[in-house]
Amino acid sequence: MLYRLWYYVRETLVSLWRNLSLTLAAILTVAISLSLVGASLLIREGAARATAQFQEGVEFIVFMVADASPEQDAAIRNVLDSSPAVSGYTYVDKAAAYEEFQRLFADKPELIESVTPAVMPPSYRIVPANPDAGNVAEMARQFGEQPGVKEVATATEAIRQIEDFSTRVSQALLVAAVVLVGVSTLLILNTVFTAIGARRQEIEVMKLVGATNWFIRIPFMLEGTIHGLAGAALAIPALFVVDSQVLAYFQESDAVPLFRGFAVPDGFVWDTSIWLLVIGGLVGMIGSAMAVTRFTDV
Amino acid sequence: MIKLEGVSKIFKGDVVALKNATAEIQRGEFVFLVGPSGSGKSTFIRLLNREEVADEGRIMVAGKDLGSLSSWKVPYLRRNIGYIFQDYKLLPKKTVYENVAFGLEVIGRPRQVIRQQVPAILELVGLARKAERLPDELSGGEKQRVSIARAFVNRPMILLADEPTGNLDPGTSVGIMRLLDRINRSGTTVVMATHDRGVVDTMRRRVIELDRGVITRDESRGVYE
Repeated sequence: MLYRLWYYVRETLVSLWRNLSLTLAAILTVAISLSLVGASLLIREGAARATAQFQEGVEFIVFMVADASPEQDAAIRNVLDSSPAVSGYTYVDKAAAYEEFQRLFADKPELIESVTPAVMPPSYRIVPANPDAGNVAEMARQFGEQPGVKEVATATEAIRQIEDFSTRVSQALLVAAVVLVGVSTLLILNTVFTAIGARRQEIEVMKLVGATNWFIRIPFMLEGTIHGLAGAALAIPALFVVDSQVLAYFQESDAVPLFRGFAVPDGFVWDTSIWLLVIGGLVGMIGSAMAVTRFTDV
Repeated sequence: MIKLEGVSKIFKGDVVALKNATAEIQRGEFVFLVGPSGSGKSTFIRLLNREEVADEGRIMVAGKDLGSLSSWKVPYLRRNIGYIFQDYKLLPKKTVYENVAFGLEVIGRPRQVIRQQVPAILELVGLARKAERLPDELSGGEKQRVSIARAFVNRPMILLADEPTGNLDPGTSVGIMRLLDRINRSGTTVVMATHDRGVVDTMRRRVIELDRGVITRDESRGVYE
């Protein structure tokens, strides 16, 4: 068994080495395409976090004071339930608000430590029937005057721009990435095909002496999988560069204050890295599997 | 050991390679397949190894019906069949030893078996001293001996040979035939396609003659013509 394992490893390494230029091309293509996949995921996540409170049509948020009385609360709720100008709302209590705070500032433990659920303001996230900016501003003003209301935050034009910008960028990256992942698969297929061609004689002999198809295929599939995994391994540092340079730049820029929320916790970057490895491995396996099933049949 | 019943093989363009062939070969027999080029000798051999599948009829090899043998079982069938070619099919970058060991390695034999059997078979074919040579450094006869060693190292029940002396001079051919005869006497069934009149007439073994895919003669102790 160990001998057989050694056989697979040896054959795979020899083949990778013989085919070096194509191997490098395949690995780099995988690396570039997976970097784009990763960047797209990071930007999407960053934007989602920066605008988390204003998803799904929510145009403004009524924050209550932390110690609002039940009567004050009921009055607001009453207006929301009965007003035709409100098409829907969700209530975020102290505990939920604290949870969200923890999630948004996962990178800044000192900030999380400084607050407790008790000081978090409960809030109403409101979807107006008419999202027109003037109408929203007017509604916000009216709610702001109610007793027990701490402040009203409206979804500004800036938020919409962030959402719009990040959606476009991440979608463009994703499209490019999908195309490149396809290209990578084809390139791996070709590289493995070339490797098979270089060993046509050996494969012929192997078949005639009774080697099983899997015995013949495994080194080639390992080769393709290594292309994919090596490419993914190169894409992971690129992901951290995107996180620490690009996203951090937005975060620190004062030009648009909202971008400050444009942060992605390290945990998410690591999770994305694992996904890249999985995708890389799959791309390699699929590409090489296509090559071996087409070209090594009995 | 080998049984063909009404076997036909037709290639694209209505090329009849074998037509209604029936023959039975017992364990331990030595059979020559003779006939002009294109008479179906190679197809006969390739059918036994299941490189080709018959269009009609039934082929039994080592107790297996090849028509109903699923493709994943084919490698296991081939482990019972050694195969020798006119052009040797040696791997040029491997030494004599490695070429022979390759035949065992790729069917997953353990290393100690390989270490034991490869030197023994090289001794048998008379190449023990040239184990570290590359194929390019060998004569034609020596190359064919390596090819025989690789085919026989796994001790198959059947040895198929397609024109094994086709590239060799008569003197060298005699040596190769002695080796095949010796292997045959150890109980291995040998089926050999050949054009080599001298070899067939000297050996006086069973001869099956093919002409345009049809078996026209089947004699035990026959001659070339």
